[in-house]
Amino acid sequence: MTGQPGRRPETRRRRGASRPRRPLPPLPPLPSLPSLPWVLGPLAAVAAGLLVLPLVGLVVRTPWPRLGVLLSDPAVLAALRLSLVASLLALALSTVVGVPLAWVLARVPFPGKRLVRALCVLPMVLPPVVGGVALLLVFGRRGLVGAPLAALTGVTLPFSLAGVVLAATFVAMPFLVVTVEAGLRSMDRRYEHAAATLGASRWTVFRRVTLPLVGPSLGAGMALCWARALGEFGATITFAGNLPGRTQTLPLAVYLQLETDPDVAVLLSLLMLGVSVAVLLALRDRYFGVGAGSRR
Amino acid sequence: MTALHAAVSARVGALQLRADLSVADGEVLAVLGPNGAGKSTLLRCLAGLVPLESGSVRLGERLLEDPAAGVRVAPEDRRVGVVFQDYLLFPHLSARENVAFGLRARGVPTSAARAQADDWLDRVGLRGFASARPRALSGGQAQRVALARALATEPTLLLLDEPLAALDVQGRQAMRGLLRTRLRDYAGPSLLVTHDPLEALALADRLVVLEAGTITQTGTPAEITRRPRSPWVARLVGLNLYRGHADGPAVRIGGQTLVTTGGAHGPTFAVVHPRAVALHRRRPEGTPRNVWLAEVDGVDAQGDRVRVSLGGALPITAEVTPAAVAALDLGAGGDVWVTVKATEVETYPA
Repeated sequence: MTGQPGRRPETRRRRGASRPRRPLPPLPPLPSLPSLPWVLGPLAAVAAGLLVLPLVGLVVRTPWPRLGVLLSDPAVLAALRLSLVASLLALALSTVVGVPLAWVLARVPFPGKRLVRALCVLPMVLPPVVGGVALLLVFGRRGLVGAPLAALTGVTLPFSLAGVVLAATFVAMPFLVVTVEAGLRSMDRRYEHAAATLGASRWTVFRRVTLPLVGPSLGAGMALCWARALGEFGATITFAGNLPGRTQTLPLAVYLQLETDPDVAVLLSLLMLGVSVAVLLALRDRYFGVGAGSRR
Repeated sequence: MTALHAAVSARVGALQLRADLSVADGEVLAVLGPNGAGKSTLLRCLAGLVPLESGSVRLGERLLEDPAAGVRVAPEDRRVGVVFQDYLLFPHLSARENVAFGLRARGVPTSAARAQADDWLDRVGLRGFASARPRALSGGQAQRVALARALATEPTLLLLDEPLAALDVQGRQAMRGLLRTRLRDYAGPSLLVTHDPLEALALADRLVVLEAGTITQTGTPAEITRRPRSPWVARLVGLNLYRGHADGPAVRIGGQTLVTTGGAHGPTFAVVHPRAVALHRRRPEGTPRNVWLAEVDGVDAQGDRVRVSLGGALPITAEVTPAAVAALDLGAGGDVWVTVKATEVETYPA
């Protein structure tokens, strides 16, 4: 045991770096209540009121007796159907191309990656109307891509279901990409290494290990993406217009009905509030800490 | 013939790893070393998870990697089984699906892969746990599944990273027995990384000591425990180790001289077992040729023995009985006379 005598003081010194052997000062006693600056309380109450009161108003003013009649209104049903179809198509498109984009951003090093990522998530902060204008300039009848597309195939995107889907995808996909990319970055890559040593090809690793392990992130990303697509207004009305039964989605219908039949507008709003609450419930484990034990 | 021949040179962070080793078929080589010595990196190099800077990895006839020749076989094509330190069982798959994973990845049909997986779970004593998720398994059970998963693919090289480190004492004992059986049955070369000498001694045919990315000693467990060649190994096996210059029976260590029965000349190691060190309060007169005065640095009870650390020009540890500690009042510190018989000093070339 040659090194023993000199070793013990050394470890002690390392631990208490600046002053060896002196006992640590006692910790100050914990306050029983957090002592907050009192002004924060009322301000917080104002904020909560701003966020919650409108929703309460919506529920209170809902014309419950007319519910059944309104829900069977063909115009309402058409808007609802169109919104569901368009938002689900946008979700599918976002998932099919957004997950690979997230994977590339998380895993593949390439020059200019930061710029590419910034541009890809820009629609999250861009005013949707601006997005609609941009979409028109590119995919419109005279647009960069739209003109040759119309000339070659006769297909025009604006003022069609495809246009609605494109507008919704443009604003909603970044939510999915960002969430899935974060999931990929935080996952333990050693599982992928373990799979590789077991003989799994890269595609098998992605399909059977990577995807299941980012499953919670993918689910959250899809929920956010879908909710955003369902509520899309600005880009849709700018790019796809407001044709009842063709491009008039729920949010557009709400806006128009507010002038003709406010009860319908309130009802449709309630419908979308319900959807939002459902999405929030689905995500509660992820964003509201101590979930109900389903995630450990 | 799948013996492993590796000359590994790789850099990960601040660690420069340089290690040459060979493992024969059916042989278990333990890589023993302190934390951060590069043991796991070595293992990852062999598995193809860390690229070599230079050198080569050869498994039987197959050249797995040689940067100079531009050869680098991907991990999935190496047929190397790895048991990772914290198991890394796929959390979303059952024990059976975990074991079947490698078989299915290699094209075995699902039902056949599942049947083989159940066989392997049986062989590691986990019949009845096939549909359990990793989260529901104890550490020892998870480790068994990990072992079964690695062996199920019939790898040509088996790598085990600290297979017992995360287990409690009981689990460790059970797993050690199982590992020994499985390793005996395994026909290819195995490499076991560990920082626990007991694990290495119990499971390995041969040992390699890796310190700071470099191999400091190679040999059988008996050779290494008897003739350590680095302070870390000496501390591990509990011997007093000195490096000095022999001039016949006298070995000069720093400014001190230790009298031995050796007759060699040149750089030499000298070891003294702590049991061979005697302590006295008064200067002894007798046959021991090595007598010096040293200060008591510390007293450390270990079971029914007490280890006394002594400082001074020739630091040494003595192993005595609690009765002797009381009789000499060693707990109070102070100076004591140290004697070591020349016949108790073993020397070997450095």
